[in-house]
Parts: sequence; C-alpha cells; structure tokens
Amino acid sequence: MQEIGINSVPVVLITAVFTGMVLALQTFTGFKRFGAESLVGSVVALSMTREMGPVLTGLIVAGRAGAAMAAELGTMRVTEQIDALETLATKPVKYLIVPRFLSGLFMLPSLTILADIIGILGGYAVAVGLFRLNSVLYWKRTWDVMETGDIYHGLVKAAFFGAAISLISCYKGFYTSGGAEGVGKATTGAVVISFMTILISDYFLSAWLF
Amino acid sequence: MIDVIDLHKAFGTKKVLDGTNLHVERGQTMVVIGGSGTGKSVLLKHIIGLLKPDSGSVLIEGMDITRLNEKSLYEIRKKFGMLFQGAALFDSMNVWQNVSFALLRAGMKEEEARYIAIENLRRVGLTNVEDLMPSELSGGMRKRVGLARAIAHKPEVLLYDEPTTGIDPILADAINDLIIKMKVELHVTGVAITHDMQSAYKIGDRIAMLYQGRIVGEGTPEEIKSSTNPYIRQFVTGSAQGPIKIEGVRET
Ligand SMILES: Nc1ncnc2c1ncn2[C@@H]1O[C@H](COP(=O)(O)OP(=O)(O)OP(=O)(O)O)[C@@H](O)[C@H]1O
Ligand SMILES: [Mg+2]
Repeated sequence: MQEIGINSVPVVLITAVFTGMVLALQTFTGFKRFGAESLVGSVVALSMTREMGPVLTGLIVAGRAGAAMAAELGTMRVTEQIDALETLATKPVKYLIVPRFLSGLFMLPSLTILADIIGILGGYAVAVGLFRLNSVLYWKRTWDVMETGDIYHGLVKAAFFGAAISLISCYKGFYTSGGAEGVGKATTGAVVISFMTILISDYFLSAWLF
Repeated sequence: MIDVIDLHKAFGTKKVLDGTNLHVERGQTMVVIGGSGTGKSVLLKHIIGLLKPDSGSVLIEGMDITRLNEKSLYEIRKKFGMLFQGAALFDSMNVWQNVSFALLRAGMKEEEARYIAIENLRRVGLTNVEDLMPSELSGGMRKRVGLARAIAHKPEVLLYDEPTTGIDPILADAINDLIIKMKVELHVTGVAITHDMQSAYKIGDRIAMLYQGRIVGEGTPEEIKSSTNPYIRQFVTGSAQGPIKIEGVRET
C-alpha cells in the first residue's frame, strides 16, 4: 500500500510547484497595483499550507489511489476473491479495509507536507527569480505571517481527506456488483464522491479550524 | 452432517431458491446437478454461510449456521474448504501463497508453508508452478490451484463448484479420483456441483437435481441412471425436449 504514496509523488510535485508559481504570479501582478508586492511570500505560504496543499493533494490521491482501491476491491468482489477470504476464515474488513484506511490516513498528510514545501519554493522561484523581489524580504514575509497552526490545521484537513477517500473508495469497491461494468461504475463513483466530499468538507473544516 | 431445510432466497424480485431441502451424510459426497443459472452456486454459498437466506436454515452437525454470530461462523468455517467456480485466486499473491493462505494466516513459517503448498499442488497434478502469479495460469490450472487451496487446511467438509469444468477429460478424471481420495482417506464430507454426468456418477454417493429452486429428484447414481423422473431423464440425456424449459428459447 506504500505505492499509494510513492506513485503519487511526481504528480504531487508538479502540481504543487506550478500552483505555488501561479499564486506568486497572480498576487504579484495584483498586489503591484497598490504597491504591496512584498506580501507575495505571505500569500503563497498561507494559501499553500491552509488550502492548496491539502486540497490539491487530496484530489490527486482521490484520482489515483482512491480509484485504484475501488477497482482492486471491486475486482476482488466480482471474482469472488472476497468470498474466498471468508471461506479461509479471514475477515475481509480487517484484512482489506483497515490497512487501506490507515495508509490513506497517514499518506495524505505526508504528501501534503511535501506539497507545501514545493509550492512555497515554486512561489519563491517566480517572485525572486522572475520579478526580482528581494530574497531576504520574501522569506521574512513568509515566516512573519505563517504560524504553526496554519501548517498543523492544513495537515488535519489532509488527514480527514485521506480517511474519507479510503473509506469511500473501499466502500464502493467492497459493495461492487455486476461484473466488469460494476467495477467501472464503482471506480468512477468512488472518485466523484471523494472529490465532492473533499471540496464540500473543505469549506466546513476551514470554518471550524481557522 | 449437512441439512438444508426449506431454504428460500431471492435477489430483488428474482426467486432463486424456493424451498430447497438437502441432506448430506457424514463422509459422503453429494452431487448437485441442474441447469445453468438455477442457483447451484447460490445453494453452495448458503452452506458455508457466505449468503444469508430469506428464510429456512442450514444445519451443520445440528447447528444452524444461518443464526450464528460472526465469531462462531468464522470458527465453523475452519472446518470447510471451498473450490469456487472461477477459482477466485488472489491475484496479488503467487501460487504457493494462495495455496497456503490459511496456513500463513494461522502463523506458519514461510518456508514450511511453501513446502506444504508444493505438496498440495502435486496432489492436484501441478508441478513447478508455485512461483507463478495466477494471471500466468490457464483456466484449468487455476481451477486446480483453487482445489489445492481448498484442501490445504485439511477441512472436514469440501464444497466443489464445478471442479472439472474447463479441464480436459483425462485431467478431469484425475480430479474425480482426488475427490474420491479426499473422501476415502480423509473422510471428507463433500458437496459437488457439476454438469459433467460422468463425473457425477463417479464421485457421487448420491445425486440431487435442482430445478426452479427446489430439489426435484434425488438418488444414488444407479437410481439416477434408471430414473423415470422426467426432469432427471431430460437433464441426464441432455435433451432440449421435456419439462425443463429453456428461458428465452421458444418452443416449437
Ligand atoms: N449476488 C447476487 N446478486 C444478485 N443475483 C445473483 C447473485 N448471485 C446469483 N444471482 C442470481 O441467481 C441465479 C442463480 O445463480 P447461480 O450462480 O447460483 O447459478 P448456477 O446454478 O451456479 O449456474 P451456473 O451453472 O451457470 O454456474 C442467477 O440468475 C444469478 O443471476
Ligand atoms: Mg454456478
């Protein structure tokens, strides 16, 4: 199940670096109008750690790992492998779902930390490399506004998303019926519901946490 | 040993089992025959508690397994081995890990479990396949690996869902011999589903025919061969004419 995390690393890196870059680009051009360009570092850091890091990583993991979990369990269901587990006196929930749930719970925060760091570096590259902002000032602005709470709450969100994705995907896969077509439906369903859950719960979690 | 009593099961509006009764003596093999889609696999899954009936009961040594809690059901399942119609091998594991799955779960050391798996594979006529993945096997090989897995933990009751389907006639006969050997040497009680009448006559102490959710006839292989029951006659002779109607095929 480590593959869930490792395989997603390249996509998370690319997504995070470009998100950090575009955040810097947009805030720089926008803030320049009222001479606040030095705040770019603050905006990038807060956006990444509080929102973009956990949400984008969650969406990526839902699309990759969530889909894989639903397809794998769905295939096991329709080919009677889950029944076979039961006949070999092994409880499918404990054997199949618990490890996936735990890996979702821990993997997503780890990937989010990575996304936060890479996103902030991407923002730095654009702000300092392209727009010639002062490097020292950029970091000062980053550290000045960011509190450990921002990072921590972002990670709490990530853990929640990770748990939700694995539960939804496992549920969809576990209760698949109707052959290969059913596996396809379960997989699509798992991804769509995970996306919706992430985006909707993100609002309420943000309102509650921050 | 096994008593199926007035079992009813419907999926949605589709009635599959409609008052099925079946009795299997300890140490005997009961063969269940019947057309495609009549619910033979569904019946087998009730006997091992994979499906819950809408009503009726399944007694194993007098204990009703349809009313057991999860813990006791898992305990009683250790007495069972089941060969699935599609083999149901775990694709994420290689052949020997499949065969020795129950032993590994019970805490056996890998080396020993692998050795026992090779032994069990030999009993079903397979050698040098232990390190292959299920996806690398032919249909008949998968079936035999499934059988090796079903017998690995030395069950008292074996359920075989079409053990010889998709296997060439010579090998099929070797599987028949293996099923008989399990019965004679290990005193295993068996329930086998098959379409293969030759196999049914050979392995069955008794043969029962399932039609429209009920057992419509039952007897020893000799009785079945000379049966005047129209359902059995039609099935055994493989005729399209008779009381058994084929859904979707119009009568002429
Ligand atoms: N889990 C399930 N959900 C819904 N319907 C099911 C389920 N399992 C079986 N059925 C239906 O029950 C009927 C009997 O199925 P079953 O697999 O027992 O047939 P069978 O007698 O084993 O046939 P075959 O010889 O082709 O294997 C079929 O119509 C099937 O569609
Ligand atoms: Mg069947």
